[in-house]
Amino acid sequence: VLVTGVAGAVWLAAGAAPAAETVKIGFNAPLTGFAAADGKSALTGAQLAVEQANADGGIQGKKLELVVYDDEAKPEQGVPVAKKLIGQDGVKVAVSGSYSGPTRAAAQVFQDARIPYISAYAIHPDITRAGEYVFRTSFVGEVQGRAGAKLIGQTLGKKRVVMITLQNDFGQSLADGFKEAAPRFGLQIVNEYQYSIRDRQFGPLVSKVAADQPEAIYASGYFFTAGPLVKQLREKGITAVVIGQEGYDSDKFMEIAGPAAEGVIITTSLDRDSDVAETRSFITAFEKKAGFGADMVAASAHTAIKVAVAALRKAGPDSPKAIRDAIAATRDMPASTGAISFNELGEVMKAVQVQVVKGGKWRRHSVIDDPVLLAPPTK
Amino acid sequence: VSALLLLDLTVQGLIQGSMYALIAVGLTLAYGLLRVLHVAHAGLFTLGAYLAVLATNATGSFWVGLAVAGPLVGVVGMAVYRLVYEPILHRPPFVALIASIGLFICLEDAFRLVFGPYGISFAEPPISGSLRLGPITVQLAQAATVVAGVALLGVLAVVATRTRAGVAWRATVTDPQMARSFGIDTIRVRYLVFFVGSVLAAVAGALVAVLNNFVEPTMGSVPSYKMLAIIVLGGLGNLLGTLVASLALGVIEAFGTIYVGHLLDRDAIAFLFLVAVLMVRPHGFLGRA
Repeated sequence: VLVTGVAGAVWLAAGAAPAAETVKIGFNAPLTGFAAADGKSALTGAQLAVEQANADGGIQGKKLELVVYDDEAKPEQGVPVAKKLIGQDGVKVAVSGSYSGPTRAAAQVFQDARIPYISAYAIHPDITRAGEYVFRTSFVGEVQGRAGAKLIGQTLGKKRVVMITLQNDFGQSLADGFKEAAPRFGLQIVNEYQYSIRDRQFGPLVSKVAADQPEAIYASGYFFTAGPLVKQLREKGITAVVIGQEGYDSDKFMEIAGPAAEGVIITTSLDRDSDVAETRSFITAFEKKAGFGADMVAASAHTAIKVAVAALRKAGPDSPKAIRDAIAATRDMPASTGAISFNELGEVMKAVQVQVVKGGKWRRHSVIDDPVLLAPPTK
Repeated sequence: VSALLLLDLTVQGLIQGSMYALIAVGLTLAYGLLRVLHVAHAGLFTLGAYLAVLATNATGSFWVGLAVAGPLVGVVGMAVYRLVYEPILHRPPFVALIASIGLFICLEDAFRLVFGPYGISFAEPPISGSLRLGPITVQLAQAATVVAGVALLGVLAVVATRTRAGVAWRATVTDPQMARSFGIDTIRVRYLVFFVGSVLAAVAGALVAVLNNFVEPTMGSVPSYKMLAIIVLGGLGNLLGTLVASLALGVIEAFGTIYVGHLLDRDAIAFLFLVAVLMVRPHGFLGRA
């Protein structure tokens, strides 16, 4: 497998390089299936970054081209998509705009072929452990979970917490980080419940949470699970503050939950009220291109492509090794999701943005900038 | 564990069960008559939800939304019978099953292409708010689900037992040839069954749309397999059995998600229950041995 992958890449590089008029960046996202909404946002964010780079001169006079494959957010699609990008399309750098399942599988293929690969928002810790060619521009779940514990225990001063955990790698790693940091902030975890990503009806769970009478609810999920959940919690008469994460981070969340969304607080990486020029211009440009408000997924894909573009400009479009070294050397690069630097494992180091729903919009609540608490894993 | 919580969980289970019943009845009707496992029924459920939201948002009235979604989906259900099942009825049953699964997948992708991948919501959610029944709070939309379930299935029971159409339907299920020789138009009975079942699915879809305030292309994927478990539990083709199985499954899931949810997810609990029941009663709750 490894040999054919590498051989394919070498053959294509030799055969296609002289004729190539564009510089290709590989991109995989769930364009169909249950995660198609996130796939569309991620793709739009990535396309925006490519258009901006092309308007800005491309790479050494050549235009950038985004080579896109649908992975349906299915783990079994990760390997074939990665092999197509490397073998057929001969990309020298690629970005995952997808979930952890396919990203994790693809990461190993890219590592084996020595092609740099950047995960935009997939959070499984094993992704960057594939090796030195794999990077991540978003927080691992544990980091965001620890930030959530600090937010509830210290910033909000609440102690009795019920956890509602999504049964997938996203929910699980958030829960791990949250539970690890909870004692440090004096949190008492009354109960933890699990739900499946297919669930939209939370009647029994909501009844049990009402009986638990928590001060705060730490609920992991995506806008399409969290929207119905928060609506049902509030209609049950539960007033405890709900803390979510970047999975909520879409205007669709307010559209679904309606007035129930008010006061929900999340940890994420996009600050709607940012005064950083990079973030402001992204929010405006995205809304113009997409016709709907920017979300975390779009901003993350935009950020990851931007990191790849900066590396291509520095290292040239031909050597994956040089591109990898340029990515690894990224220091405080301004992007829509913050100033990007990587640690030795390829994990991003940046502040966590805390947003709250006010008047039906995401607004800034606070920022958690605590390098010790937020330190990503190094191995 | 307080008695109040147990009562609350039971109520939540029965609400979920009413929803399952509304969806599963159409499947039971189709199976009882034609021995076809109509998986694409779950696609009609989603279609009903989309049409209800779109028509409600366009007119501002949920009643108009229901009035549009119900009959339209009923007609689509009849078309599915005519165009997909009728031409292959003489083939072995798995042919129709595979055709149905294929149709369901096509429908899911069609929803994504036509209505977009993001899903849609009501601009002004109808039946929002909640209702206090003594110490228990339920969403108004949940109460509406139970009312709709009882009312529609009640009407169905009356029609089946007290009207000519109902007699024709039961006669056709029991012995199609004999029914035909007595002058019953068995083809019309088939259209009627698909119409009624699809209307019920559309109503269920509209109610789920209200409960979640969210309709997405893959909304039918869980019902597509869970309703199979329900009709098997109910003793394939048995209407009363389907009702009992729906309510039982709702209650089992309600307690299961709370007390063994950290071990098994909701679907695993449902199918474990199915296996357990079939070990004791191989023909379902009310199935004939």
